[in-house]
Amino acid sequence: MVLAELGGRISRALQQMSNATLIDEKVLAECLNEISRALLQADVQFKMVMNMQNNIKKIVNLDDLAAGHNKRKIIQQAVFNELCNMLDPGKAAFVPKKGKPNVIMFVGLQGSGKTTTCTKYAYHYQKKGWKPALVCADTFRAGAFDQLKQNATKAKIPFYGSYTETDPVKIAQEGVDTFKKENCDLIIVDTSGRHKQEASLFEEMRQVAEVSNPDLVIFVMDSSIGQAAFDQAQAFKQSVAVGAVIVTKMDGHAKGGGALSAVAATKSPVIFIGTGEHMDEFEAFETKPFVSRLLGMGDWSGFMDK
Amino acid sequence: WFSSLVQSVAGKAALEKADLEPALKVLKDRLMTKNVAADIAEKLCDSVAASLLGKKQGSFTRISSTVQAAMEEALLRILTPKRSVDILRDVHQAKEQGRPYVIVFVGVNGVGKSTNLAKVAYWLVQHDVSVMMAACDTFRSGAVEQLRTHARRLQIPIFEKGYEKDPAMVAKEAIREAVRTQQDVVLVDTAGRMQDNEPLMRALSKLINLNEPDLVLFVGEALVGNDGVDQLTKFNQKLVDLSTTGSPRLIDGILLTKFDTIDDKVGAALSMVYVSGVPVMFVGCGQTYTDLKKLNVKSIVKSLLV
Ligand SMILES: Nc1nc2c(ncn2[C@@H]2O[C@H](COP(=O)(O)OP(=O)(O)OP(=O)(O)O)[C@@H](O)[C@H]2O)c(=O)[nH]1
Ligand SMILES: Nc1nc2c(ncn2[C@@H]2O[C@H](COP(=O)(O)OP(=O)(O)OP(=O)(O)O)[C@@H](O)[C@H]2O)c(=O)[nH]1
Ligand SMILES: [Mg+2]
Ligand SMILES: [Mg+2]
Repeated sequence: MVLAELGGRISRALQQMSNATLIDEKVLAECLNEISRALLQADVQFKMVMNMQNNIKKIVNLDDLAAGHNKRKIIQQAVFNELCNMLDPGKAAFVPKKGKPNVIMFVGLQGSGKTTTCTKYAYHYQKKGWKPALVCADTFRAGAFDQLKQNATKAKIPFYGSYTETDPVKIAQEGVDTFKKENCDLIIVDTSGRHKQEASLFEEMRQVAEVSNPDLVIFVMDSSIGQAAFDQAQAFKQSVAVGAVIVTKMDGHAKGGGALSAVAATKSPVIFIGTGEHMDEFEAFETKPFVSRLLGMGDWSGFMDK
Repeated sequence: WFSSLVQSVAGKAALEKADLEPALKVLKDRLMTKNVAADIAEKLCDSVAASLLGKKQGSFTRISSTVQAAMEEALLRILTPKRSVDILRDVHQAKEQGRPYVIVFVGVNGVGKSTNLAKVAYWLVQHDVSVMMAACDTFRSGAVEQLRTHARRLQIPIFEKGYEKDPAMVAKEAIREAVRTQQDVVLVDTAGRMQDNEPLMRALSKLINLNEPDLVLFVGEALVGNDGVDQLTKFNQKLVDLSTTGSPRLIDGILLTKFDTIDDKVGAALSMVYVSGVPVMFVGCGQTYTDLKKLNVKSIVKSLLV
């Protein structure tokens, strides 16, 4: 994964600092600048990068006072902690419970990959013996129902939708009710793409959430998104109870730093990543092992158990 | 003695790198928060620095305003098209030659190719140009139905051959059909593809080589971060590398989408034009047919600098 590239650059920056015989202000500044550059090139929000830089400087300066400390170790620990904080919201996502009617609602910006990911998600659980079902509560996009229907048919997953009904709230309600009656244990509601600048679209999302009463709202985000990621993700979070993030299109070249921003904005963990257009190009994502792997290179290993 | 007296009153010594650095740092950070790709923000600042080094500084102007003015000039120069394409004029020219004018829409997944193709169709129809759509995304679920829906709503003909056909051949047949039925323009929709996906880039190159379109329009979303640079560079590079003709076709222009979702973070426009050297020909700013605009260079520059 390309995020790993970022880990490599950060490790190298720290390694370079370790090679310096004397760590002074200048060496520290250079190291932090290099780390910041790597994060900015990966599309992490500018403000987050600056905050991280300042936090590290503060910690390092404070510890300056205490004599006898190993400066290098303090810096490394500070960088590690800051990165962990970015990637790890500190709480796990809702885990669907087998045998119960779990309702999962997908939301996100236009074209981020919701509809594709809905099927991947359903297919992932179907393979494990679950009974998933798909509800197409996107009545806006041309061809939306056909898209979901063709995907669902390919995966042999039951679906609900309409060519004539224009109210997504109604479809969501009917779809969820129908599949509850049919004892499906994973009812997945796909919604239209939307953005924070259009209030009526967010209002519609709130209404769909109200009638579907989801156990989990998943925010789907394109890995190539730039500086707008944080604001958009935060707006979604403020409107519905986002509880998890899925980052799509990780098979591309993007380093996915927008995802870190989304984790920060929604305070929700990344649970899966999309790695292609096909149904099985989907991987579970676990923050802790990932951070460990990301930072578990070279000098990092000493901090793993803290 | 007179000239030396004048100099000491009117101007100070030539500008040096150290004088410029603080002001440039502020500008670079601002560009990055506005979603200009990190490398490009850096290169721009370097070239502004180079243009100012050694220049005499007027005593009454502050360095920061000198730097700001130089940056503004540089941005205007980059964003102002060197070569303008007048589609309507070219359409009429093609018509006089007795052939349809062909536009191919290309880009990565989910950026808005199909939707904005429909907007361009609407715009052409408004200008009394007859249009035909060619459904050459024969891969993604619902892609054909999506385009068909737009064609029906806009009451324009569509050429389609369903799924799993060779898109290059579908385009060929579509153009032949347009000649037969005397359509002025053929708009070719293509499947989204990642710039690193070799087989899919090869298929795109084939479509372009075989059909020699009049305009290759790259569709990119204003939301994209640093990856936008890579997308354009690699699409162009692949079109060169995989070309089977003597003179490879490159991207002729950019259609920038989702401009309504980014507030003042307009930097992707700059990044895309900077790396490709081609103009933004249309800006998509919403999800209805009328949401298609021309780029306002002055307002972009203003947004980037405040
Ligand atoms: N390469 C790649 N493409 C993906 C991935 N996930 C989705 N896509 C593609 O991205 C495009 C958009 O996906 P959709 O699922 O239609 O996105 P959406 O969020 O439902 O779009 P709207 O409903 O219009 O908001 C399609 O071409 C998908 O095939 C992924 O992980 N990798
Ligand atoms: N807000 C906004 N949404 C847009 C704009 N242009 C397109 N969209 C939305 O973006 C989503 C994806 O658009 P498509 O036209 O399907 O994108 P595509 O590039 O053809 O996608 P693939 O063919 O799957 O690669 C849809 O929900 C569109 O309504 C725009 O200018 N503004
Ligand atoms: Mg969708
Ligand atoms: Mg399309």
